[in-house]
Amino acid sequence: MATQTRTEQIDPVTLSVINNAFVNVCREMGTAMMRTSYSPIFNEGLDFSCMLFNLRGDLIGQAEFCPTMLGSCQYAMKWMLDEVGLDAFGPGDVYIHNDPYRGQCHMPEHLVVQAVFHEGKPWGFVGNIAHVGEIGGMAPGSFAADATEVYQEGLRLPPVKIMAGGEYVKDIWRILLANHRTPKTSWGDYHAMIGSLHVAEARVQELLTTYGAETLTAASDQLLDYSERFMRAEIAEMPDGVYYAQDQMEDDGITRRPYWMRLRLTIRGDEAICDWTDSDDQAKGPINATFVVTAASCYSGFLHVVSDDIPINSGAYRPIRLVTRPGSLVNVKHPGPSVGGNTETHPHIQNVVVRALAGAVPDRVAASEGASSCNFLFGGFHPEYGDYYTNYHIEGSGWGGTIDHDGSNVLCPNNGNCRNTPVEILETKYPFVVEEYRLREDSAGPGRWRGGLASSRTFRVTAPEIIVNALFDRTRTHGPGIFGGGPGASSGIFIQRPGDEAFRSFSETFGTVSDSKFTRVPVTAGDRIRLDSAGGGGFGDPLQRPRDLVAEDVRQGFVSPAAARDHYGYDPDEEGA
Amino acid sequence: MPVRLGIDTGGTFTDLIGIDEGGALVVAKTPSTPARPVDAIMHAIARSEVESEALEAISIGTTVATNALLQRTGATVIYVTTAGFEDVPYIQRMNRKHHFSLKWSKPLPLVERRNCLGVAERLDFHGATLIPLTDEALADLAARIEARLVDASGDVAFAVCLLFSYVNPAHELRVRDFLEARFPAIPVSLSHQVAPIWREYERGSTVIADGYVKPIMERYIADAGAAFARAGMDVPWSLMKSNGGKTPADAAEAEPVKFLLSGLAGGIIAGHYFGQLAGATNLVTLDMGGTSCDVGLVRDGKISHSTNFEIEWGLPVATPTIDLTTIGAGGGSIAWIDKGGLLRVGPQSAGADPGPVCYDAGGDQVTVTDANLVLGRLNPAYFLGGTIGLDVAKAERALDALGERLGLGRMEAARAVIDIANENMANAIRVLSIDRGLDPREYALVAFGGAGPLHAADIAAKMGMRQVIVPVYPGLTSAFGALIAEPKISQVWSKHFRSDAIDAHTVGAHFAAMTDAALAQLRRERFMAEPEIERSVSMRYWGQNYEQDVPMPPGEVTPDLLAETLDAFHRLHEQFYGYAIGGETIELIRFNVTVSGHTGAVSLPAMSSNGRRPGGQPSSEREVYFQTHGLLATPIYRRDDLPAGFPAPGPLIVEEVSSTTLVHPGHRLDVGSSGVMTVTVGDGVSG
Repeated sequence: MATQTRTEQIDPVTLSVINNAFVNVCREMGTAMMRTSYSPIFNEGLDFSCMLFNLRGDLIGQAEFCPTMLGSCQYAMKWMLDEVGLDAFGPGDVYIHNDPYRGQCHMPEHLVVQAVFHEGKPWGFVGNIAHVGEIGGMAPGSFAADATEVYQEGLRLPPVKIMAGGEYVKDIWRILLANHRTPKTSWGDYHAMIGSLHVAEARVQELLTTYGAETLTAASDQLLDYSERFMRAEIAEMPDGVYYAQDQMEDDGITRRPYWMRLRLTIRGDEAICDWTDSDDQAKGPINATFVVTAASCYSGFLHVVSDDIPINSGAYRPIRLVTRPGSLVNVKHPGPSVGGNTETHPHIQNVVVRALAGAVPDRVAASEGASSCNFLFGGFHPEYGDYYTNYHIEGSGWGGTIDHDGSNVLCPNNGNCRNTPVEILETKYPFVVEEYRLREDSAGPGRWRGGLASSRTFRVTAPEIIVNALFDRTRTHGPGIFGGGPGASSGIFIQRPGDEAFRSFSETFGTVSDSKFTRVPVTAGDRIRLDSAGGGGFGDPLQRPRDLVAEDVRQGFVSPAAARDHYGYDPDEEGA
Repeated sequence: MPVRLGIDTGGTFTDLIGIDEGGALVVAKTPSTPARPVDAIMHAIARSEVESEALEAISIGTTVATNALLQRTGATVIYVTTAGFEDVPYIQRMNRKHHFSLKWSKPLPLVERRNCLGVAERLDFHGATLIPLTDEALADLAARIEARLVDASGDVAFAVCLLFSYVNPAHELRVRDFLEARFPAIPVSLSHQVAPIWREYERGSTVIADGYVKPIMERYIADAGAAFARAGMDVPWSLMKSNGGKTPADAAEAEPVKFLLSGLAGGIIAGHYFGQLAGATNLVTLDMGGTSCDVGLVRDGKISHSTNFEIEWGLPVATPTIDLTTIGAGGGSIAWIDKGGLLRVGPQSAGADPGPVCYDAGGDQVTVTDANLVLGRLNPAYFLGGTIGLDVAKAERALDALGERLGLGRMEAARAVIDIANENMANAIRVLSIDRGLDPREYALVAFGGAGPLHAADIAAKMGMRQVIVPVYPGLTSAFGALIAEPKISQVWSKHFRSDAIDAHTVGAHFAAMTDAALAQLRRERFMAEPEIERSVSMRYWGQNYEQDVPMPPGEVTPDLLAETLDAFHRLHEQFYGYAIGGETIELIRFNVTVSGHTGAVSLPAMSSNGRRPGGQPSSEREVYFQTHGLLATPIYRRDDLPAGFPAPGPLIVEEVSSTTLVHPGHRLDVGSSGVMTVTVGDGVSG
């Protein structure tokens, strides 16, 4: 069982009250950040998470924003504490940290933390991790799909103090803003992050006043233990055994070859061991996962199949152990690049974990989802506003079918929980016209319960020139189905230049090595760019799908009559639908 | 003497409260008749024994539109949108309600996918035409609509949402004219009219909801009008709006989506009224009934508003509503133990059938009401005035069983159930207040609904709030709110300016035109006195995406006045989020005018200083359990017996037909001159 430093046993009622209060602190922090931040990936996308840590750096509270960071933040926090020490934190000090070689997921994600003091002593930390849209490096938007080293991916920050006693540490700010292409946006976003820490700090102070530091600390420890007990009970219910699953990244942007991640999952009693030793060596390009990305994906895979009632904190992660090989796709070694490891490889890894768990708990899993964020980055001078802009754009994919329902259409991959940017906001800020944004008929993997549909969006360029970058996956592979279900449709990014009859790949048009991963391609006025996301896999034999559901899918245009015949053995003409 | 009536048609009961010029009150409560809501209204009026000749005005709060949405019984909507964007209602916003769940599915829109039809047209973000809307495009649309109408049964409504219509409505207006001419029997709703905001999904979702409830609301209004006419009641009647104002019934058909909270707004209006009677201007209202609890906010004497209402998670209705948070916490909320062994309460409810264990109607799961009964806080012989007898022994056995699983005794288990329910409500208050940058400790809690006054003092103590206010007739507050609601008309101009290039003259001209239009409508609604005019500007720092409403002072719109308003934004930002960015460009997004008519406050009669029982004697005494003291012999008062000016220290209980008020040890009860009760919450006392 867990280590416990128990000064008093908190009664279960107070414990759940305090757990709710921790969640609420984080919700309030997130709302403040959403309302005040500048970049769309922040305020429309909600690509951030908010958390509370104890003095050891354990995650003790969080709220429902972006899950990517929740499995990994404890590593970044603990690293920070090891490196700068608890004594480095004074009242009003804020530290910032984005280094993937110091426990972070990838460089755009910045952790800011502030210690909360009670009666002159630090009690714990309020923190948030957010995706800062542009941090320099070789490509606008800092998603360098052909980077081969972390140094090309943007400005790397070890834990450094940016606020001291509530005042700006101006030298650090100067360095930061001089290395970002859109410093004004960074300025606004950093203020949103730091401002929301104030909101959270005030609330934790109230809790400290209400309960006292000792009780609150004891409650945090007991919440960690509670989540651990809960997760152990869930794993103990799974049949012991060794389960295997694997999937591939189609290429790394540098060479056209797949990279495999391979899992050997052992369930033994109330513990699980995720052994990734057999995965491929790390890639030259930026699809590598840092160790903490792999850890977060494993935790996430389990959290998706167990009860929704487990409070999400570091305790829930304790029964899940990891084995990874340094220098492999799932544990990149310095100075390898990793920006896409967190957006593309991350959901693939999570899907592999869920697929392996299908051997243990078949009724709780789903077929694979599209699992590509379809990262599309662009930048340039705005022809009307005159200023230099960049933007990080993502798409949702179809999710996988489950034992009792179809996968949802067009959702953010499991590692994030971002929203799309409304067309009306996108066009107001950036020189594109969106010509269509629709569901892709027949993009769902067929099944007893089919996958969710993917989306298709077409941009028309209205500026003289825009520099674009892409980091997709699943353009030549598919989100697989499960238990006889079929795969979802592939994703893709295509361009049609004025005078061209059809859309073509970027490799054909510009000679990029990869169709799905490239940087710094100049597109010009009148070019059309189409982003297709990937569909979700089906669950179970499509021939077993009730005929009324197939008929309804045809009636609503989710499935074409031809696909109904080919995959479901259902002829709409004969059935008179 | 002329009598005005306020009526609330709730899910279970239809309540009526009336007042004559002398301030005398009549009340009535009848079971609701969901199939034909107007029947219950007529029953309630009959039961009130008010003569139809004496009627002066009727205002009604209704859940008809809300229920149609929740039960999915609305019209077949045909959604007309810019070609290429037909799937926006199905794509939604791409995020999930839960971040680690494979069980959750996206909410189903209120429109079928095959009924989402594109029309060839396109504006850019300035409102300039990229693709003109042609006659051919409209003819093509009409042909596809006809194909869809072939197998549409029941009510049909059009909902139109074209991209950038909030900047330039010309195309939407032309589509409307065309549809009305071609399909005259089908109502048309336009997105730029019901929700002039950017974000096509939210605007589209709102206009779809509008079309969805339109035929039902039209029928409700026609039915009620006909019933009133048949009964010879030739009086003006109005409906409560989601924004807390009221509108003549015949004007309500135009934008029915603005009536979704019609049945809930009254409670907050009444809470506001009684809070002011008790001398408080910052209020949290708590309306706790059998299955849910609605929390609202009054700030500096003004009811707080929002445009973030959702039918369910992910289906927004972006119209101005009173700011309300509803959570599944009520008397019927069920206590259960999760897999990790922690006690939880709600959101599942035993409802009215089978109801709590103590109803002895087949319920076997412990509810909040059972816990209150076991703790001695409810009177088994006087629940709903004695109309339902409660079985104490059954409730005790159920709590013994629950306690055993938790390692707690009966009383501790009951206390834990109440404590968790109260914590859930306290969290709802935190979310509502702190999301908006407010400190709940500076607020008084107005508690009503059958269960509100029973739980309020404990919730207040948890929040550090010092005062609980219990209205007169706490079980009829929504009807009372409808009675006292005032006409309120809002106008919005969506126009984008940067603070470094803003034209005071244009802004002034638009404000003047909007104010005139609102005043003209108010006059049409037969309001003749001096109205209150409020102006505000929605703004944000250049680069932010969420705006904040900043009040604009009265007077001619000059550059100085604009500068003053911009300064106020910096100050508000600092106050809410802890920092301001001085010198940063500000974006101005929307210009808002609200005109309210003050019909003259209803004045309740002063209470006699003597209750019926001289000196305010308790009617009985029983043992009640309190966390801090265990079982205490506690005096029980009937509310009718309490004279004005009556003070008493807790512990005590005040019982009346529709509610029970609990005053803890260390708290104090005071009765105000109009019968409003105030509980002063002592230091750190809870439970």
